Amino acid sequence: MPLVGNIRDFGLSDFLYLVDRGYKTGCLHLSRADEMASLYFEKGKLLTATRKDDNVPVTDLLVRKGKLTPAQAEQAVHAHQNQNGASMSQVLIDLHLIGRDELQRVLQQHIEESVYALFGWSEGEFRFEQGQRPEPTAPIMPIPLPVEHLIMEGVRRIDEWGRIKDRIPSTDMVVKFIEQPIERAKGINLATDEWRVFARINGKDTLAEIARKTGMSEFDVCRIVYGFLTAGLVDVIRKPAPVPMLATGRPLAEAPRIKKSLVTRIINRIRGM
Amino acid sequence: MQTVKMVISGAVNAGKTEFIKTISEIEVVSTERRATDDTRLIKKETTVAMDFGRIAIGDDLVLHLFGTPGQKRFDFMWEILSEGMLGLVILVDSTRPETFRETNRIIDFFMSYRETPYVVAANKQDRPNAWSPEELRLALRLPAHIKVLPCMATDRESVKNVLLELLDVIMQRSED
Repeated sequence: MPLVGNIRDFGLSDFLYLVDRGYKTGCLHLSRADEMASLYFEKGKLLTATRKDDNVPVTDLLVRKGKLTPAQAEQAVHAHQNQNGASMSQVLIDLHLIGRDELQRVLQQHIEESVYALFGWSEGEFRFEQGQRPEPTAPIMPIPLPVEHLIMEGVRRIDEWGRIKDRIPSTDMVVKFIEQPIERAKGINLATDEWRVFARINGKDTLAEIARKTGMSEFDVCRIVYGFLTAGLVDVIRKPAPVPMLATGRPLAEAPRIKKSLVTRIINRIRGM
Repeated sequence: MQTVKMVISGAVNAGKTEFIKTISEIEVVSTERRATDDTRLIKKETTVAMDFGRIAIGDDLVLHLFGTPGQKRFDFMWEILSEGMLGLVILVDSTRPETFRETNRIIDFFMSYRETPYVVAANKQDRPNAWSPEELRLALRLPAHIKVLPCMATDRESVKNVLLELLDVIMQRSED
């Protein structure tokens, strides 16, 4: 079954997180008005991205960028016809028409720019088709791209509180690292201000305290932490209140200490229904 | 007579009323009125107060099930209902990603008071385009120790399974 929705409700960065953590393989189709884009993933990593107005084979793209001559492109197309299922990118490498690193650099830059532009969409329908793969002639990167740094770059372009507040409702919340942030952080390049915030995360300070200690605005700190959060590096939690109180001013009753025998009775009753 | 309480919460149209109706031994007491806000777009009649169901465990023990109102303007009811509850079921409409943020807000609200035992029920799993429980776990950013269970609120066995899983969580925290 495809996953469908609108990025107004479930943002692109949220979806990239889901694809990453779920090791998803398939295609995320995005559309709004007459614009369309498709992002192909393999085991949670980005293989390629195409837009309706720029959906060209990798050979055409490389000719346009001056990395292949038309004759070389034709040679690759001819060779590819004899290949069984291999991607055109692999054929180009095998024929030594372009080096793997150079191909990766050119395609990664092109694909990243396509994806970053999508973060500017405030709404648009999405549909994720599990298992769908790109055409072999598409500009497929030799090394699939981890999505964490795409998320960070996308979040850098967020300039409104609304989306941030969905995940960080208050600056009184405490930021803490998830269990293995260092491993996940390997694919992410942080800007100077992001490092300043990253270095202040200790599981005790609130966002407001981090803003005060770094001299940055609360919005900037929240935006940066939102990026860490979306990339799965940190978690934000409420500062534990010493005595929970009701709005009426009364202290909230302790959670009832219940006996195992009573729980067993309820379990047996429901099983028997 | 001892009574214990479980709370069924979730966004508008998540299936809370249906969930309680499916398992309650009594006719569910629902305070329903014609919706006056944007929930009208989702269903004609929506819960504006609460649902109440009951299961007799024995002569001396009763389990009460409370369904919380879905709309934000009834948040104050959540606080009252959460007092003394044994556990919490968070229902999610698996077919409507537009409700996932609201679901997170509800979880955040209940957890801000104390560590209440809870499970998440991925309702409407029989519908096309339903997100699977594992996809919902990722979408809601739920930690691995929180149970996300497939659910069809109209199916008695499915509702029983959700309650039994919640009771299993409660059992782990109970005393001898």
